[in-house]
Amino acid sequence: MRSRRVALGIALLVSALVTGPLVASPGAVAAPEAAPNAKIERANQAPTILKVGVTQEVDSLNPFISITRTGTDILRTAFDFLTVYNQEEQKPIGSLAESWETSEDKLTWTFTIRPDLRWSDGEPLTAKDVAWTFNKMLTDEVARTANGSYVAQFESVDAPDETTLVVKTKVPQATMTSLDIPIVPEHIWSKMSDISAAPEYPMVGSGPYIITEFKEAQFTKMVANNNFWRGKPKVDELHFIYYRNADAAVTALQNGEIDLVNKLTPQQFDSLKSDPNIVLNQAQNRRFDEILINPGAATADGTPIGDGNPALKDIKLREAIATAIDTKTLVERVWSGYGEEAAGYIPPMFKDFAWSPSGDQKREFSLEKANAMLDEAGYRKGPDNVRLDKEGKPLNLRLLAHAERTIDEVAGPFIKGWLADVGINVTVQPVSDTQVNEATTRGEFDLAFSGWSANPDPDYVLSLQTCANRPNAQGTGGTPDSFLCDEEYDALYTQQLQEFDRAKRIEIVKQMQEMLNEKATLVILGYENALEAYRKDSFEGFPLQPRENGVIMNQQGYWGYYGATPAGEGPVPQFNDDGTITDGGDAQTSDAAAEEDSNTGLVLAIVGGVIVVLLVGGLFVARGRRKTAEDRE
Amino acid sequence: MTAPSPRALAWRRRGAAFAAGWRQFASQRSGLVGLGLLVVIVLLAILAPVITDQGGLDVTEATGGTMAPPDGEYPLGTDRSGRSVLLLTLWSSRVSLLVGFVATLLSIAIGTVIGILAAHYGRWVSAGLMRVTDFFLVIPSLVLAIALSTVMERGIGTIILAIGLTSWPSAARLVRAQTLTIEARPYIERSKALGGGHLHVITKHVLPAVLPLVFVNTTLAVGSAIVAESTLSFLGLGDPDPMRPSWGTMLRSAWLDSAVLAGAWWYLLPPGIAIAIVVLAFTMCGRALEAVLNPRLREG
Repeated sequence: MRSRRVALGIALLVSALVTGPLVASPGAVAAPEAAPNAKIERANQAPTILKVGVTQEVDSLNPFISITRTGTDILRTAFDFLTVYNQEEQKPIGSLAESWETSEDKLTWTFTIRPDLRWSDGEPLTAKDVAWTFNKMLTDEVARTANGSYVAQFESVDAPDETTLVVKTKVPQATMTSLDIPIVPEHIWSKMSDISAAPEYPMVGSGPYIITEFKEAQFTKMVANNNFWRGKPKVDELHFIYYRNADAAVTALQNGEIDLVNKLTPQQFDSLKSDPNIVLNQAQNRRFDEILINPGAATADGTPIGDGNPALKDIKLREAIATAIDTKTLVERVWSGYGEEAAGYIPPMFKDFAWSPSGDQKREFSLEKANAMLDEAGYRKGPDNVRLDKEGKPLNLRLLAHAERTIDEVAGPFIKGWLADVGINVTVQPVSDTQVNEATTRGEFDLAFSGWSANPDPDYVLSLQTCANRPNAQGTGGTPDSFLCDEEYDALYTQQLQEFDRAKRIEIVKQMQEMLNEKATLVILGYENALEAYRKDSFEGFPLQPRENGVIMNQQGYWGYYGATPAGEGPVPQFNDDGTITDGGDAQTSDAAAEEDSNTGLVLAIVGGVIVVLLVGGLFVARGRRKTAEDRE
Repeated sequence: MTAPSPRALAWRRRGAAFAAGWRQFASQRSGLVGLGLLVVIVLLAILAPVITDQGGLDVTEATGGTMAPPDGEYPLGTDRSGRSVLLLTLWSSRVSLLVGFVATLLSIAIGTVIGILAAHYGRWVSAGLMRVTDFFLVIPSLVLAIALSTVMERGIGTIILAIGLTSWPSAARLVRAQTLTIEARPYIERSKALGGGHLHVITKHVLPAVLPLVFVNTTLAVGSAIVAESTLSFLGLGDPDPMRPSWGTMLRSAWLDSAVLAGAWWYLLPPGIAIAIVVLAFTMCGRALEAVLNPRLREG
């Protein structure tokens, strides 16, 4: 008993010592307020650091391997490309390549590389490095892991001199000016025995920043590259800090631990509105979300695969399902209005290629119409209001969902509810991302949540629906998305890939989207906005891509990070089509809107807190009583 | 007037014992409060379909604003999809209580059978069964429950199984110890000497004698089963059917929707407080029962 009292005394003493100074000097509390000013003054001596919060782990910083959003975002700023998408509207412009020309038959491409380019270690960057990178990908399967699709049709790659690169392709390829392949230094990578190995730091690069340090699941540190051909960025260091929990990243932004964060949920975005030091950026995203409807999955050679409900082979049923999904409500409820209603397969951000259904093509949401369509198609209602398929079995469909994705979690109940109203019983099955990917590739689904990020060049997302993208008998070797496989669609796909007249290609791409809409093997749910936020007291702003409603992070280029402008060093640069800088206007980001009255919230929170305290107190009192009963024994 | 039959006598004796026990129980205020809370909550859960409309759980029918604060129409505000949090909390009690009760019954049943068998037969039966028990005892039950519910199909049944199959070892140990003390008593020896077989001894003498302990243990275990259900649901392993919410799934959606950042306390607190109250009520009841059945714990 005595020793316990002594221990208690020591504990009290220690806590008094720890808390004492804080209580004694109220000045300590006021100190942080002065910090932002001090930060700006110090900027002249100390390096300026842009600290970016990310919530996705980096899979690898090997440019041949990395495919995650965060990994490629970092690599895009570390390695330059032959061409880059411009800031204005994401059209390809020269980067390492100054200019290019094609032969008559569109099979030979000659790129002229800028003279006097240098790697970050001072070695010259020439056409030989580019040729080595492409040839490595042609000869080594491992090097094709991330970006192999771009070189699949390459015949040969040569660098006759230091500034000339000649690429010959087997068939005409419209994506030649948008090769999303980081160019690596030959003098470093040719000495590596294993091309897939984790790289050594600092990594020799050619982008605006170079990677100097990487700690898995913690951070990636980059410093400005003095040899970047467009000039050194204004920021000295760029840190990507990993947060396991998105709410923690938001709190870190509020506390000033990080300067920039993206992938915010509507709730997080709204909660930042009242903070005067934070600027919000609601941008159009290049992602679309969809529900896949299994139309009868098959392998690349046409053998049926998977266990999809055979009733879904009926296009009438698929059309009715598409009619019973309300994109307007989804945008309102799932994305809290931070999104756009469904139209075509290519997100509206890509204005040229985007298509939207008109007139009869458009499926207006109507449960009555969907019911009528099903009645007409002969799906009569059985017991419990569940319709029966053509074989008299009740229409029970599984809806595969990503267990960790908010959109799936929130939209699932809506889709289940609407389809129940038209007599289709849906069971939501939340499983891990890997399980969703494997099951959808093997055709083991009825309905499934899916979604893709489209590129400025639509080739990749369009290729997902082709017959060639179906898997082998083991359910691997393809990313089939909806298992559409339609001869006419495939013909159009080949045609667009070989069409060099942009206007004509756009026409074909729109035709393909019309077909996708018609076949109803997938239902577009909508396009979420990219929600980003940064601290106004540490950064003036960032160049957006595209310039209107564009994003700061995850750009198709390096403009956002390259043009990052510390507070007081504005204006934010805008990059012209030829890549030169104009000191553009200040209308590049929308300012935080309406201040909210947070007092009522505070009062209510206090009331809630009191309730909790009372409850916990009650628990302790109850326990305490029991204890005395025991002690009295 | 004929003498009452032995059966009637036995019942009379039981009635008297029950009345005495109830007096003991009623003398403890915390036990009464706990019991009162439980009766109210169970009644509300059972009557939920009568006093409210389940249609309010359907997100497609929801009319409220997104995470709107409490007002006249929605006394506890709305969730992200515009459903009433009060309605959700009420309906969630059904799943939480159901899982709590059934999982506990399952776990206590397994524990009792294994405990009695191990103690009664002794030797290698005891050694074997107790090693199995030890095996389950050393595996962290949450990890095992997570593994089970990942392998099996999502749903209430899976959750019940996962909790029931992982929480029985302590009950087995407890029942075994109690059985050992009872089997050492002379009347068991007498019963055996008079020719009572295993079945007779176990069902007529051992089981009635350990039942009070089992009963108390059950009451106390329901609380932890409810917490376990909430934990699993919070981790996303609960029933995915939106029409069958539980307090754990409510907390999960509040967490996913950043209710803390948004200051939406009405979304977060009701399910949390509900869990706290129910677990508290079961604990208070259980402790009072314990005091009734174990004279050493009685006050005064």
